[in-house]
Amino acid sequence: MHREPGEKRDFLPSFVAALDAAGAEEIVVENGYGSGMDIDEAAYSAASSRLVWGDLDDCLIQDAVMQVRCLDEEYFDKLGTKSILLSMLHYTTRPERVRRLAELDINAISMDGLIDDGGRRLVENLAAVAENGVGAAFEELAHTHPAFDDPRRPPLRVTILGSGAVGSHAVRAASRYGNDQLRDAMVARGVKGVEVVVVDHDLTAHESYMRSLLSGSDMLVDATQRPDSTIHVIPNRWLADMPAHAVVLDLSVDPYNFSVWPPIVKGIEGLPQGTLDQFVFYPDDSAYEELDPRISTKNRRVALSCYSWPGRKPRECMEVYGGQLEPFLNVLLNKRAAAWDTSSPSLYERALARAELKRWLEARPG
Amino acid sequence: MTIRSGRDTSLTLGLPLMSQEPEERRDFLPSLALHVASLGLEVLVESGLGARMGYSDRDYLNSSDRIRIVGRDEAFAQDVVLILRSPDDRFELIRPGATLLSMLHWPTRVARYLRLKELGIEAVSLDLIVDDNHRRLVENMEAVAWNGLEAGFEALAHTYAGFRTHDRDPIRVTVMGAGMVGKHAVEAATKYGSLDRGRSMRDFPGVEVTVLGRNLTSSERYLREQLRLTDLLVDAAFRSDASKPLVPNEWIDELPEHAVICDLSVDPYLLDASPPTVRGIEGIPQGSLKQYVFYPDDPNWRATIPHGVPSLSRRTTVSCYSWPGIHPRACMHRYEEQLLPLLEKLLETGGAGRLRSDGGYLERALYGASMGAWVALSEPGEVANSR
Repeated sequence: MHREPGEKRDFLPSFVAALDAAGAEEIVVENGYGSGMDIDEAAYSAASSRLVWGDLDDCLIQDAVMQVRCLDEEYFDKLGTKSILLSMLHYTTRPERVRRLAELDINAISMDGLIDDGGRRLVENLAAVAENGVGAAFEELAHTHPAFDDPRRPPLRVTILGSGAVGSHAVRAASRYGNDQLRDAMVARGVKGVEVVVVDHDLTAHESYMRSLLSGSDMLVDATQRPDSTIHVIPNRWLADMPAHAVVLDLSVDPYNFSVWPPIVKGIEGLPQGTLDQFVFYPDDSAYEELDPRISTKNRRVALSCYSWPGRKPRECMEVYGGQLEPFLNVLLNKRAAAWDTSSPSLYERALARAELKRWLEARPG
Repeated sequence: MTIRSGRDTSLTLGLPLMSQEPEERRDFLPSLALHVASLGLEVLVESGLGARMGYSDRDYLNSSDRIRIVGRDEAFAQDVVLILRSPDDRFELIRPGATLLSMLHWPTRVARYLRLKELGIEAVSLDLIVDDNHRRLVENMEAVAWNGLEAGFEALAHTYAGFRTHDRDPIRVTVMGAGMVGKHAVEAATKYGSLDRGRSMRDFPGVEVTVLGRNLTSSERYLREQLRLTDLLVDAAFRSDASKPLVPNEWIDELPEHAVICDLSVDPYLLDASPPTVRGIEGIPQGSLKQYVFYPDDPNWRATIPHGVPSLSRRTTVSCYSWPGIHPRACMHRYEEQLLPLLEKLLETGGAGRLRSDGGYLERALYGASMGAWVALSEPGEVANSR
């Protein structure tokens, strides 16, 4: 099931083979699976003799349901009680989803919550978040900047908000224009490179410093992981200080949610929420008018936002996720969720136990 | 429960001591021995393991009756031998057909590969274990960056009078290099090199980190200007041409007097090599776990710098050939966590010689770092992975 036409990701045949090897008795795959990535059904059928094709309802009634992006909540009712749902569930920013899954007694496991003992994510493609987002932003900057490939221009200046996992991948991507071929071409022409400035929350709160920094930035990247997602890091009025050609990139992709109190807002105020179908927004885009009127959108630059940056390169993305999930399958398929132990000797069992919704709710402070 | 390999072989694990320099304190922890023993395997621990981190033989013994304390020869004579740094002078103690797990760095140490092959040892190089997307599964670049930056900020707190003043500008850190180490260095720098220090500095103006890739570090005018505004200069660059410094010695004079240089790349000086290798920042000393902070008047400043390399321009420098070794327990916890699932898979499979390239995720990763996957190294001049 794909939530929008641009979403093409499905697990690859190699993952079906891994499910088979881990002991899945029957693997029900939705008709048309993989077609968005031009993988035909025969490739899946060849991966396991236990594979059967079915419709969405057939898939949803299985003991375990696996899908990268979370199902629309209207489908939760079709999942069996105590069945496993493995998906990117983003518990902290989706309170409604959490409440519903808990109510239905689903053994939900958030893929983004699978972490090791040091808190590092075990299933992630943050490099692709940064590379795909930064690459797209430089494509836009090449059009908006009046001297993008002029050897006489000063270095391009990219300001990154946040120095965590996404931010540090963004640093690497930005220092290469998000595209190695472009970087090589610019070097060959003698064009000065990219200066990347990274600031964390102890500087983002200083208005005069930040406005001065923004006035010299060709690109602004939000890679923050805010402790409080109800407060903007960059109020919309600060964007007025940025050059007219500047590009603003949203990598944190926190959603707007005005149905909760206090409302959840984006790190940079006034950016639309993008999808795989539309992730570039020019200042006159109608998407700005569709935002909640409580959000100021007065100051606009070319903005990029996408619910799922890794989804821009679906096959590469699913290779990464499939490989990272493979070592979890033995525990996932052969041990009851209720028996998973956060102090198990197995790294993967500990991680599954921590990412399981009921235990997450119990461990959550307050 | 005894773990039997898929090929009906029950294995033993040896944990010998490293024989590197005295200040190297890292060894695998009692918790790793216990984990393997809990799988039903015998673990033979060399007496004195972990002593430099404060562990006694009893700490290892107490954890399981499947663990025995033995001498060096016996620790090396097991089916699988696990030791962090390569035991080059002990290869003869390993049995032909046994598996050695260690940081072996074959692409730059071909002679080591050939010696192991000659002795019939089946080895897996920990630094070469990567997943299908070439991400290293056993690495501690994070500790390189965090431990180095922690030392750098500690030094800066001494040299920079305004460090703890509320009206100062943000501290300006310039990181040269945006690779794996560089990106961890960025995060570490924004937290003053340690989460504790970061918390204690919360009320002061923060840290602005500027990252320069190769195409900016090669511009003299730009780089000299940038150095003038830099409080802490970090070398995390991977140079395509190691025979030329990124920062010639005289450019160091551009840095403010209080500035600190943090050397994370730890390239050596190898002037006799062809082409020669010089350090990224010219004229700075190469530190060790024994001494990693050098003030400009340090009597040891020139001890590691060959004749002919200028070093008149100086700023306080932190440098260490093994930054992760600064906090040995934390380092070994990290490696243990990464290694245990792989070790379990290796033991279940029956040793390195039985790994298959078409196995599961962990087996594939192990196979790619095993000698079988690097047969091309047997050919002179070849360094490509053959898988």
